[in-house]
Amino acid sequence: MSADVRDILDIERANTPEITRDSFLATKKRNFERTKHASRRPEGMHREVFALLYTDKKDAPPLLPTDTALGIGAGYKQNKARLGMKKVRKWEWAPFSNPARNDAAVFHHWKRVSDDSTDYPFAKFNKQLEIPSYTMTEYNAHLRNNIQHWSKVQTDHLFDLARRFDLRFIVMADRWNRQQHGTKTVEELKERYYEVIALLAKAKNQSIEKKTFVYDAEHERRRKEQLEKLFKRTTQQVEEEQMLINEMKKIEARKKERERKTQDLQKLISQADQQNEHAANTPSTRKYEKKLHKKKVHHTPRPSKVDSVVNAIEIGSSGIKFADLRGSGVSLRSQKMKLPANIGQRKVKALEQAIQEFKVDPAPPPTEDICTSFNELRSDMVLLCELRTALSTCIYEMESLKHQYEAACPGKTLNIPPSLVPIKTETLENSAT
Amino acid sequence: MSGGTMLYGGDEIGALVFDPGHHSLRVGYAQEDSPKAEIPSVVGIGAKAPDTNLDPETKTDNSVTPNNARKYYVDTNYVNVPRSQMEVQTYMKDGMIDNWELFEKVIDYAYANVIQSEPEYHPVLFSEASWNVRNNREKLTELMFEKYNVPAFFLVKNAVLAAFSSGRATALVVDSGATHTSAVPVHEGYVLSQAVVKSPLGGDFLSRQCRQHLEKHGIDLSPVYKIASKDVVKERDNARFTLRKLPENLTQSWQNYMTQLMMQDFQMNVLQVLENPYDERVAAQIPMVHYEFPNGYHQDFGSERFKIAESLFDNAMLGAGQLASTSVGMCDADVRLSLFGSVVVTGGNTLLQGFPERLNRDLQLRAPSNTRLKMISANGSVERRFGAWIGGSILASIGTFQQMWISSQEYEEAGKSQVERKCP
Repeated sequence: MSADVRDILDIERANTPEITRDSFLATKKRNFERTKHASRRPEGMHREVFALLYTDKKDAPPLLPTDTALGIGAGYKQNKARLGMKKVRKWEWAPFSNPARNDAAVFHHWKRVSDDSTDYPFAKFNKQLEIPSYTMTEYNAHLRNNIQHWSKVQTDHLFDLARRFDLRFIVMADRWNRQQHGTKTVEELKERYYEVIALLAKAKNQSIEKKTFVYDAEHERRRKEQLEKLFKRTTQQVEEEQMLINEMKKIEARKKERERKTQDLQKLISQADQQNEHAANTPSTRKYEKKLHKKKVHHTPRPSKVDSVVNAIEIGSSGIKFADLRGSGVSLRSQKMKLPANIGQRKVKALEQAIQEFKVDPAPPPTEDICTSFNELRSDMVLLCELRTALSTCIYEMESLKHQYEAACPGKTLNIPPSLVPIKTETLENSAT
Repeated sequence: MSGGTMLYGGDEIGALVFDPGHHSLRVGYAQEDSPKAEIPSVVGIGAKAPDTNLDPETKTDNSVTPNNARKYYVDTNYVNVPRSQMEVQTYMKDGMIDNWELFEKVIDYAYANVIQSEPEYHPVLFSEASWNVRNNREKLTELMFEKYNVPAFFLVKNAVLAAFSSGRATALVVDSGATHTSAVPVHEGYVLSQAVVKSPLGGDFLSRQCRQHLEKHGIDLSPVYKIASKDVVKERDNARFTLRKLPENLTQSWQNYMTQLMMQDFQMNVLQVLENPYDERVAAQIPMVHYEFPNGYHQDFGSERFKIAESLFDNAMLGAGQLASTSVGMCDADVRLSLFGSVVVTGGNTLLQGFPERLNRDLQLRAPSNTRLKMISANGSVERRFGAWIGGSILASIGTFQQMWISSQEYEEAGKSQVERKCP
């Protein structure tokens, strides 16, 4: 049995003195050849039975499975890592200094002796925001525009915080020294910061190189107010709103129902009038139509996967149907960009990939225009993915048909008209986007 | 450094992580998945004039520092021994280190018996309460550099660490520990200190409630140290046990401490929070829980186990759900959605059965309609209790963090006041 297993696994481990990759491969090959020439198993004899009679070393099969690492049947305890034949590389507790630090503090970490000491690899992640500074004269010349709201000390404090917290305005507003400088909101801080930046840039004539940002504080304040209102809605208010919306829907439905009924009635009346006039003609035409229909049904094309794909695309089930939030009362616009839940995992994956591929911001600021275009874009992306798969199915099917045809009528080749031959996929992608 | 370490961004420099709390101090090496030791945050203080006949175990006891002729007993093995005139005192107050003398004893003990290495080889990362005051922070910095000569030091708010331990930089951390339940919003790794909300309802509060309840029902609460032997009795029968011979003059503080330990066991095994506000009928339908006291008395506990636990939630102002929603409500409107999107539950008291579920329900009720509420609570009891420590362990062994330490050189140059700037 053990030999059998070894045979299956192509392992031969009988006293090989030292294993190197070459010798290991060589012995393996040789053994393989030798075992081939050894006594052959008669036809019809089971492998297991043969193994009981003839093992290559004529040793008795083991009664118990062995798991010692010593015997020939090295068993499963065989250390796999023995294939690595290099010497163990040493590690040492070595000092290092970090260029990202301002002082020359030395810490220790484990490092391979063989690795040459380069710069501390994590130092490159030490990115700092560039926050402009101003001098006293600059301040006096350009920044004294808003004295009653912002003193020099306050502006200094603002810029200090900006540097410390890397422009995280929410944290800055939190750590704002209220005892000394009074309370300021996030919007006020942002407003002043961008104001100062713009003024400085203007004074230094930097506006060409750098884009200056204009912060619309009033708009932001209104937005926050709306957001607050949205959050502050009580459950009763939400329920009432929901109730009202439902009521409205009901009324509309009833109205439609009524309209439909009157229309039906109208139709019936007019049909009744017409039937009286054309009573003689109708039966024959109907028969003719039926015949035509039957003929069409008989002429069913051979079933193909392509049809289903193409149909799906034509019907318009492709793309994404984004949730229409109009029915649910007040909501955030960013909710519109949420992918609906019924999209499959694979589609989401493909979408993510496509967004990455085309270098689109995965979460753009949700303004009205961006919302609609972003949703359209993603819908198109899904369509593109589906078209790609459809195309590949088509190509595959065409190829297989071609082979079938060639197999059926040997010597002939099927010439596919050039209009059906797919253009290079890349150009297609470009045109699709 | 090899490719592998760059891939995972870790770089271990032999740092130590200390996470002081009201229940215990967690100590261990950074990069490990759980602390090396959990030392109770109480210290036993022996009598002023030491006895001449020392019992043998204290002689070999390296935790004892003969200082001022007083003896100090640190860690469970030494504190939980009945000794005459040994007072038990905590060094924590209000989430902050208060009694520095005792705290030093504990740190001494930790270096000598847990770390078993010299402090000057290991950078130290400390956690602190989110409402820690400047004075305290500077004092700790001074202590670590001046007394222990650490090569580098850093101080992080424990809520930030708890958020890191569950892989979040922005989260609302609901931490229910021994003395406090707090809700702390963390935004991109910084605590929003103006929106921190805390209440004094924690594990110790529950222990007191349990004790009151049991004493009212005339159940004898003899902690295990009093009992020499006990007989098996029928349920609700009077306990039959013999008392142990104890040294004289056991202090009230030590006895209280031992009873409290017993109550902690009781509350963790018996108490449970209902998912909905307490209702006698619902509570009566849930199977009873059996509990045997150290003296052998045992009985089933039914609806009372929900009634006691309910006090953590039903309080109008201080219920855990209310705390969390108040805290979020105080933050800027732009961050509220992301805070509701990751609510990290941590602290030993949250291991109370049903705590996260109830919190989830209470928050759901208070959160604005159609917000996505996500609770993150570690499943393992170690991960839940030591959330802040684990976060510290992760943080201190990240390669990009190594530039943040206050090194001893920087301390020499700029003094202790820079902790306010460097450790936000």
